[in-house]
Amino acid sequence: MSGWRRVVLPAAALLAGVAVAATRVAPFTSGSAAAPASEAERRVWSQAEELNGVMVRGNVAYPDPQLAAYVQGVMDRLFPEFKGVIRVTLLKSPQLNAFAVPDGRIYVNIGLLARFQNEAQLATVLAHEGTHFTHRHGYLGQQSLKDSAALATFGGMLGVPILPQLIAATSMFGFSRELETEADQVGFQRLVQAGYDVREAPRVFEHLLREVKSENIQEPYFFATHPKLKERIDNMARLSSQAVGGGDGNDRSAYARTVRQARLDNLENMLSMGRAKQALLMLEDTEHAAELPPHAAYYLGEAYRLRGEPGDLDKAEAAYRKAIEAAADFAPSYRSLGLVLLKTKRHPEAAASFERYLALAPEAKDRKYVENYLRAAKQQGEAR
Amino acid sequence: MRRLVVVLICVIVSGCVPMPARVDTPRTEALDKSYALELPLGWIRQYTQEKNLIASRDGFLLQAIGVMRRPLKQAFVRTKKAATPGMLPSELAELEIAELKSRDELTAALTVLENEPAALSGKEGFRLKVAYNNARGLEINEVVYGLADESAMYRVIYRAPKLHYFDRHYPDFERTVQSFTLTKGKS
Repeated sequence: MSGWRRVVLPAAALLAGVAVAATRVAPFTSGSAAAPASEAERRVWSQAEELNGVMVRGNVAYPDPQLAAYVQGVMDRLFPEFKGVIRVTLLKSPQLNAFAVPDGRIYVNIGLLARFQNEAQLATVLAHEGTHFTHRHGYLGQQSLKDSAALATFGGMLGVPILPQLIAATSMFGFSRELETEADQVGFQRLVQAGYDVREAPRVFEHLLREVKSENIQEPYFFATHPKLKERIDNMARLSSQAVGGGDGNDRSAYARTVRQARLDNLENMLSMGRAKQALLMLEDTEHAAELPPHAAYYLGEAYRLRGEPGDLDKAEAAYRKAIEAAADFAPSYRSLGLVLLKTKRHPEAAASFERYLALAPEAKDRKYVENYLRAAKQQGEAR
Repeated sequence: MRRLVVVLICVIVSGCVPMPARVDTPRTEALDKSYALELPLGWIRQYTQEKNLIASRDGFLLQAIGVMRRPLKQAFVRTKKAATPGMLPSELAELEIAELKSRDELTAALTVLENEPAALSGKEGFRLKVAYNNARGLEINEVVYGLADESAMYRVIYRAPKLHYFDRHYPDFERTVQSFTLTKGKS
């Protein structure tokens, strides 16, 4: 699977231009009726099961049963007649993605959860993805791909069993324009029926458009496929202006409490992947930052330090000091402040910061590094 | 791991570098003469570029040692970040972890088992050990030693399935690491 993404990305690109010519099939009407209706559809479900197996074996699920139950609860509220059939799994990935596979599993990255501001925004995405399942888009997508002459060429190029890759390609990288539009529209009706505040729906896309622009993101990203993101914002805005929805799900602070740990884990993950600019989009948003715990200024410092643009070291130092002021016992702030001080040749201060870190985190995994830096800071300090 | 195989095929077809060869002398040098090291005798060695090489005993999916030299300020492929002069060893390790985690969906979920300072060619560097599962659920372990000098970042990498292979050939890798020396040509 190490080459999975490399296989899937070209697949998606190659097949993006393939016209959708699938025979329409009726949507599922309830969970009990949700089953493959033909041998071809059964094969697609079976391939989906293989993809699900890869997810399990790859250990990529985000291990927070409470949060998973919360998200599943939102899904069940949107699709009550499919309870137990549409199953949500959270993934550790910080990428902006959520996707549905043909057998009713929906995967949601915590990167997406972390960026939303309230439950109604989350519900917007879940309604969209749930519709991909209820309207059998996974099967339709596969059918249209199988109908295309490109498939044979592509399969030959790969020289590998193609269906699991295609399941992944269509699921993770978006369906045809027609199917995506249908998922937006039907999903929107689900939002209305469930009583969510539909004014939040276009905000999901607006928020994400900002991220795409600032990062020049080119990644599996369901919002960025078909139709164009700007067009989808306009469509959502039009739908929400015409709809009479409920007012539920717009409590920002309640949502922030629910996803608090996921947001921190996502920041850690994002920073460990070097995605400093994406982290800064959240951390420089004062409203978002205010919802994080006091030591979160540490992550802001880390994002500046890792971005490494001119002036970022100063910004990082200020953020670390702010984190220390807010949470004096949070050890990592001292280590990172020590690094900045060491690099800017303020050796006695750096030594003091490293000593404080080691005192607060005697079992730290990076203890040996810090001991080396402490020694160097002391030697340099004495040499002056 | 599949990447190594693809790279290998590409370089063989292109004919830009020597064909794979059995290691029958202790000392191996990079084609650009920037480093030298001792690969395990009897393994198959392949230069993938003038500054990179890989070696394996039973096949690149079963165990592989790779050595890579990347000029400072030349960005990594996935993260688009580069090592810069004056980076601390832990910062180089951060770069490496970011690149590993950005490889694909499975390595994105990797666990860092060990991350510590380590000497390479007598210079301060880092040693990382990470674990992740492949698509079949097999745990893959990977150890990376790295350092940067004035001109480049060097990485000596060992990758193998934890089951059966990793421990079996790890001592061979450690001997290779101990023998790694930067040579005058490029450092």
